Formats: sequence, structure tokens, C-alpha cells
Amino acid sequence: MTHAQTDTASADQPVTVGAGREKLDLWICWWVLPVFYTFFGLIFVLLAHVMPPPSPELSVSQILAFFHAHGTTIKVGFALLMGVIGLGSISNGLVAYQMKRMSVRPVFAYGYIATLAVGAIPGCLFCAIFFLVAVFRPDRNPHLIALSYDTALLTFVGSLGCFLANYCVFTLAVLLDKNRVFPRWLGYMGVWQIITELLAAPVFIFKKGPFAWNGAIAFYEGTVIFVVFLTCLILQVRKAIGNQPADELVPD
Amino acid sequence: MLQDVAPSPATARAGRLLGDLNVWIFVLGDLVFFGAYFVIFMVYRHQETAVFLASQRHLSLIAGALNTMVLLTSSRFVALAVQAARRGESERARRLISYGGLFGVAFVAIKAFEWAHEIGHGFTLVRNDFFMFYFMLTGVHLFHVLLGLVILVVANRELRSPERCRSWIVESGAAYWHMVDLLWVVIFALLYLVR
Amino acid sequence: MLPPASDPSRGDRPTFDAQSVSLWLAVVFGVFLLIAFILFPGFFPPMSPGMSASEVTKFYVRHSTMIRTSMIIFNLCGIMLLPFFMVIVYQMKRMATPTQVLGYCYLSAAATGATLFAIADLFWLIAAFRPDRDPQLIMLLNDLAWITFTAPVGMIIAQNLCLGLAVLLDSQPRPIFPRWVAYFSFGVALVMAPSVCAAVVQSGPLAWNGLVSFWLRIISYALFLVVMFFVLQSAIKRQRKEQPVSAITPGAVAAAR
Repeated sequence: MTHAQTDTASADQPVTVGAGREKLDLWICWWVLPVFYTFFGLIFVLLAHVMPPPSPELSVSQILAFFHAHGTTIKVGFALLMGVIGLGSISNGLVAYQMKRMSVRPVFAYGYIATLAVGAIPGCLFCAIFFLVAVFRPDRNPHLIALSYDTALLTFVGSLGCFLANYCVFTLAVLLDKNRVFPRWLGYMGVWQIITELLAAPVFIFKKGPFAWNGAIAFYEGTVIFVVFLTCLILQVRKAIGNQPADELVPD
Repeated sequence: MLQDVAPSPATARAGRLLGDLNVWIFVLGDLVFFGAYFVIFMVYRHQETAVFLASQRHLSLIAGALNTMVLLTSSRFVALAVQAARRGESERARRLISYGGLFGVAFVAIKAFEWAHEIGHGFTLVRNDFFMFYFMLTGVHLFHVLLGLVILVVANRELRSPERCRSWIVESGAAYWHMVDLLWVVIFALLYLVR
Repeated sequence: MLPPASDPSRGDRPTFDAQSVSLWLAVVFGVFLLIAFILFPGFFPPMSPGMSASEVTKFYVRHSTMIRTSMIIFNLCGIMLLPFFMVIVYQMKRMATPTQVLGYCYLSAAATGATLFAIADLFWLIAAFRPDRDPQLIMLLNDLAWITFTAPVGMIIAQNLCLGLAVLLDSQPRPIFPRWVAYFSFGVALVMAPSVCAAVVQSGPLAWNGLVSFWLRIISYALFLVVMFFVLQSAIKRQRKEQPVSAITPGAVAAAR
């Protein structure tokens, strides 16, 4: 199936023909990564005020005040998230696809997809849904608003087995891979992610201090490490795509 | 602890960095992050010095000192193993790594004992800030030790066939284990010793 | 050299029956889904976000049995559409796109989307479980159900973007899906996108019971599923014709790999 054959005058012409479409789908998917995470930053940091999170020690009336003050931006931000969250799935699919190019069994790639596809809901969407519910009716019972507040932030900052499994799968795959799709140090960074996930577990116990959901260790240091990891991942995926031969047959 | 032995003729990468650059990045990064945890610990300690001092007395200095000796000995064995491996003495190296691993297991056992003892006396994660840090720091360190044991097993297996042995795995594993040891020494000093 | 769609090394042949079964499973369960959809008292007409807590509670009390019956069916059948989506993924992988990445992206989005559907159903069921619960709690659960059901269209949007892109980049002389499927997918995604506003407005066409977020969205998605059924049917038929059964043996598959 060469490009020459696509020149036949049929109604089903491809959109682009020629050398420019080498790995075009990969490059499009790669761009989704920085775009999605920019949206993510914009939404969670600037609009929803979830990063950094308000304190677990707020009283019910303070929680109401928080939602009253930021109601509009929370609505705008998280409504936007409802629409763009799928870009996260595309990002995950791209990384999983690169994992299929590794010498390890494809189960790692599918494990990667499964863990994130599941984890996205309690780990990200619950925060959005519960904050949206909290601001949906200002006249709702204040204790229910406070419940939504707790649920959103606990699920978002607190550790999740899905992500732990995801990082384990990723780390193992990268370290065992003989094809060196990703550099080994990226796998080691996965170990840091595992550690931050463990360090976020006390979030469910403490309402103040470094291990609360707004704590110096559980949140701030964890977020810094995550941003470092994510930046490296995005850049390494770019490199991996660049290094991938255009006609590589990736095993199914 | 970190023996800067001149590369033996057996290794093709004469004059290059001991172990693997990737692992060094990991080790240094880990030290930086742990450093941040230690700084945060010191900040909280400064704010609640009395509570921290009082709680510290409930820690078993013996267990802590024992653990320190155990881990240092373990590190020594692993360092000797690396030397033996570089000289091509795979069998000896494997034995030494096993001893190192055994001492590592001893560390875990002592730690488990210690935790059980403390929890039995009512000193749990939520008792106060000191014990929160104590369990979290030693817990994360314990995770590093368990991971290190896995790495030692991998290094051991690597040495099984000297011709195909990837020396960087052995050396990197040793570097990681030394880092774990170093972290413990700092934890021991901060949690058990500093008055 | 891009791998042709009917490359024996892809091991295409053995999965025809699985595809047909998946498609027809979708039809069977789709019918049940439609019945449950019609039966759920909260859909015809769709409940208004403006209802007060006591009105919502009365609704759950009055229609308790019907809500639970229809939602249980809805819940059980909704996820059975997943094999249908997997057939789409499989056909996407047969397309002569530069690489196979889009199938994995589609898979990822489909898995999350299906889970969200299940969670929304569960919220309705929990709300209906104890009608004598505090009305504020019932309303909270009802809100959660509706927002989870209506707002996160991002998954479907991502799926349709991946599908459309794959169709456009399919560079065979006879692409697996006709080109209009791409534009149709994009169109459906565009039409469904405004539903995100259901999470923030309480009345009007964008509310979760509104013309856009409810009717337009559900009708266009149902249309999409029906159209894709026929598109998949014809793609599978063509696949059967183009790949004679005897041409491929497991040995050839292994050797070609």
C-alpha cells in the first residue's frame, strides 16, 4: 500500500497525502498532551481554586463562603473540564501506544490504559462533579455542601490504588524494556510517583499538618514532583515519537 | 561507604561513572526530596520542641541503634560484593549480596518489632505530630528498603552468569542501597538522637 | 511502507464472529436500553433541576418501583455497549492510518465513559433506595446522578474526534469507513458538547432537562449509534469478502510476525 496508489481519482481521497503525514496521528496526539495539561492547570489552579486546595479545617460557614466567592469560576472551570477531560484519555492512549513498542508484554500497555481509565473518575472527575454539585444550589443544606467539599478534595488529593498501580506498571515496563522506548531514568521517576502516592495516603487521616490535603508534603511536594514527572514524560514521549521509524510495525 | 574503585579490566567502560547515570539521577533526586521532608520535619520540630522532645523519649534508642548497625553492616557487605564482582569473583559477590540482603531483612524485622511495640503502647500515627512524622518517615524509608531488597535479588541474579552479567545493575543496586543506608542514618539522627 | 488493511500478519481473520456477536449484542441490549429509557419516569419528561427537595422526594416516593426497575435495566444494559465500541476500535486498527495510536485513545475514553454511565445509574438507584430518607439527601443524590449523566461529554467527544481523525487519515483506496463517517462523528461531538452546561444552569435549553442538553444530545447520540451499527455491518461484510477463510493459517500469522 504505497502513497502512489492513493492518487487514484476516487471520492475517498485521504485528507493529506505524501511525506508530511508520516506519524501525523502521533504528532496530533502528542500536541494533546501539553494542551490538555494547560487546560488542567488553568482549570484547577486559576478557576476552581483546587490547587492549592483550601484547608480541611474550614468551618461549615467558611466553606459556604469559599463556594460563594468562587462559585462562578468553579462553574466555568469545571464545566470546561467536563468537555476537555477526554483529551486526557487521548494522552493516556498515546503513552500506552508507546508502551506497546516496548519489548515487554503488551499487558503493561493495557494495564496502563485500564488503571488510568478507571482512576480518572475518582481521582479527577469526582472533584469536579462534587464541586459542581456544591455550587449548583446555594440554598442546599450547608452540611451537604461541606460533605461535597470533603469528598471532592479527599478524592482529588488523597492517594488512589489506581494511580499506584499505574505508576508500578509504567515503572516496571520502562525498566524492563530492552527497546529503550523511554530512557531508564523516566522509569526511576515513576518510583518517586509511587512514593508520593504513598505519602498522600495520610490525607484521609489528618486535617492539618504536612500530611493533610493541603499539606507541605502530601500536596505541595507531591505536586512539585508530579509536575516534574509530567514535564519529563511529555518531552520523552515527543522524543520517542521522533525516534519511531515511520513504518514500524507495532505488535498488536 | 562508596568505594571509588578504579574500574577493573573486566568492565568495558573504563574511566566512566560508577554504576549508571540514570540511577544516579534517581538517587540524587530521592535525596533532594527526602531532604525537603527533613526540612519540613525540622520546621515542625522547631514549632513544637517540647512535644517532640517528650515523644522522642518513647522511642527505643536500642532498636534505632541496632537498626543503624544492621544497615551499615549490610551496606559493607554490598560494597564488598561490588568489589568482588569487579574482580570477576561472581560466586563470592553473590554470597556477599545475600548477606547484605539478610541484614536488610533483619532491619525490616527489627523495624516491625519496634512499630508493634510502639503501637501496642498507644503511640500511633495520630498520637501527635512527632509520631506522625516518625511513622511516615520510617514508613517511606521502609518502602525504600523493601524496594532495595528486590533490587539486591535482581543484582544477585545478574551475577549468576558472569559472561552475561551487566555490571551496571550490580553497581547501581549498590549505589541505591548505600543511599537507603544514608537516609536511615539521617532519620536516626533526626528522630532518635537530636535533642 | 504502511501495512495494508488485509495484511495476514495482522491476524484479522479469526475475529469476524466476535465482531458480529458484539454488534448484535449491542442491538439486543440497545433495545432493552431504549425500553428502560422510556420507562424511567425521570426521562419522559425529564426532571427539572428547578424542582424543590420535597418535589424530588415525592417523585422518588411515587415512582419508586418504576425507577428501580428501569434503572436496573439501564445499568445492566448500558455497559453491554462496550463490545460495540470495541468493534469500532478493532476496525480503527485496520485502517491505514500512519500508526495505530488512535485506537488506544478511543479505548481509553470509552472505558471511562462507560464507567461514568454506570455511576450515574447507581446514584439514581441509591436515591430511590430509601424514599423516606431526608429530602435534602435525596436531592443531592438526584443532582449527582443528573450531572454525572449529562455533563461529562468529554469522553464521547474524545472518542468521536479519534474516530473521525482515523477515518480521515485512512489512506487506503477503499477506506474501512466512508469519509462522511468522520464528519458525522465530528458533528455529533459538536452537537453534544454544550451539554457540559447542564452542570451549571438550572433552567433553559442547556439545563439537564433542556432541549439541547437532554433531547438534542440523546437523540444525536442514539442516531450516532444506529448509524455506526450499519457502517460497522458493511465494514465487516467487506472484511469477510476481502479475506477468504483459507488464505490465513496460524503458522502464516506467526511467521509474518
